[in-house]
Amino acid sequence: MLNLFRAEWNKIAGHRWLTSCLIWIFPVGAVAFTLVMALILSLSESARLAFRSDTVQWTEQLVGTWGFLNNPLGRLLLIGFTAVMFAGEYQWQTWKSIIPRNRRVPLILNKFVTLGVFVVVAFALMSVLLTLGMGLLRAIADAPYPPELSASVIRTTVSDYTRSAVLGFISTLIAAGYAALAAMLTRSILGGVLVAYAVTFAENLSAVGLILIAYFLDLPGILQLYRFTPGYNLLNLDAWIRTGAGNPIVLDYGANRVELADSFGFSAVVIAAWVIGLIGLTTALFRRQDITS
Amino acid sequence: MSTGNPIVTENLTKHFGRGHKRIEAVKALNLVLLPGQVYGFLGPNGAGKTTTIRLLLGLLHPTSGHAYVYGKDVQRHPEVLRRVGAIVEGASFYNFLTARRNLEVFARTANRYDPARIDALLEQVGLAERANQRVKGYSTGMKQRLGLAAALLSDPDLLIFDEPTNGLDPSGMHEIREFIRRLATEQGKTIFLSSHLLSEVEQICDRVAIIQRGAIVREGAVGDLLDAKTTLRVEASPLDAARAALGDRWHVTTNTTWLSVEATRDEIPAIVRRLVQHNVDVYQVTSQRQSLEEYFLSVVEAETPHA
Repeated sequence: MLNLFRAEWNKIAGHRWLTSCLIWIFPVGAVAFTLVMALILSLSESARLAFRSDTVQWTEQLVGTWGFLNNPLGRLLLIGFTAVMFAGEYQWQTWKSIIPRNRRVPLILNKFVTLGVFVVVAFALMSVLLTLGMGLLRAIADAPYPPELSASVIRTTVSDYTRSAVLGFISTLIAAGYAALAAMLTRSILGGVLVAYAVTFAENLSAVGLILIAYFLDLPGILQLYRFTPGYNLLNLDAWIRTGAGNPIVLDYGANRVELADSFGFSAVVIAAWVIGLIGLTTALFRRQDITS
Repeated sequence: MSTGNPIVTENLTKHFGRGHKRIEAVKALNLVLLPGQVYGFLGPNGAGKTTTIRLLLGLLHPTSGHAYVYGKDVQRHPEVLRRVGAIVEGASFYNFLTARRNLEVFARTANRYDPARIDALLEQVGLAERANQRVKGYSTGMKQRLGLAAALLSDPDLLIFDEPTNGLDPSGMHEIREFIRRLATEQGKTIFLSSHLLSEVEQICDRVAIIQRGAIVREGAVGDLLDAKTTLRVEASPLDAARAALGDRWHVTTNTTWLSVEATRDEIPAIVRRLVQHNVDVYQVTSQRQSLEEYFLSVVEAETPHA
């Protein structure tokens, strides 16, 4: 399994343009951002003043970086990266050299594992570099960068960081699942990106969509479907972990009102079903697929 | 049935598309390739050669029937393909990686990474000095040679080559042909070779099958196939009378000064007797074994439906 992972890692990492633009851009972007800001702060007193008035904590900076996975640009880059990983083999016509060398299921699951490792490495680096960079910027601006290091701060930060990283990773895995599935179906990098981004976009608008469908068909019960969407359940899980209570959502139109307030267990099961379902579907599709190029 | 032979296919069938768009690419194909054989797989473009090879390598799923490699159904036991090395429709690589890195990726994928073997193979195919250059900059010939190295990575018992000389110049073709010949004669590999270059197939292969419109139309040892249908060159006078004397029994073609008669060497005395009986003067009768190319063309023509 380690050999298979290294084969995939070496292959993708060897595509320097791809990895530079779509995955290493996150930590490299963090360094670039720090350098540009450092230059501006060094040259501009007003910038330093503005920076001082901002109350940034290094703990928030460290944890908050993982939120970039849900940012539309961050999501687009990761969908592109996933599409290349999965559809690239069709475009490069290399499946015919790879498939006879190993079973199809490990080959495709290995792509998900490698993708996950790339994302974790890139974002862990980005969060550390941004946090250190912000420290440098705060020092240049002569601004405080709390809190002081203590055992309880470290405990809380590790817990928050883990939660943020896990939820961000799961959210990425679902988007990657869309991208992988779309890439497999279209056998095209561009097709994979477009379809996956459209699905992600549609998922974000699913609440509005369900309200419109319920309104026009006069079927308020259809709003209950929203409780099975990844977005709602990820927010619900996040709220349960952070506050010990869920994140109730109210969907309404006219006199109809549906309140969704699900347990931690329910959301965990729904999210697991999405992740396993998307990966399983991609794997099942690939197992039966004819490789004609 | 499944034996331990390198390749056995049983009624192997593959259709593409549905309804009126359905194409029967391979129809109930039955093949047996014995250990140590060098087997030529011939057919015109679109005959089903590459589809058959893709079925043998588990790249396509058969509509019905089975493909066995060393006695194991490749669909159920794809791990048996680790005993196979292949080039399908020319070699394909990650062009952004170096030759060495490509071989490393393939070897690791098969869980058989051995840097020493990669070095040895690069040396064997004459790419050692350019092993650290990206494949993007390689010529077609270099890519084909790298393809051979990739096919040999796991020291396979069976090699499947689909058009391994595609896009090569004559010297490149010669080089690859010699390489394949050495694999068979010096290393005892079993080889399944699909090629348009019939002279090469004739020189290398022990046995051939000709496939047309998805079905095998001729199969046998090269010598038997070619000996079965010999052309006799008959120099006689007058030619018209000679043609009339032989035309009712043999297929005769008239050339300017001689006749071409499709008959076996054993039939020469009967032909001479008949010519003499018809008062034709016979100057010379020589038998000419047809080339594989001539044989192939005659089979393809005979099997092509005419409007």
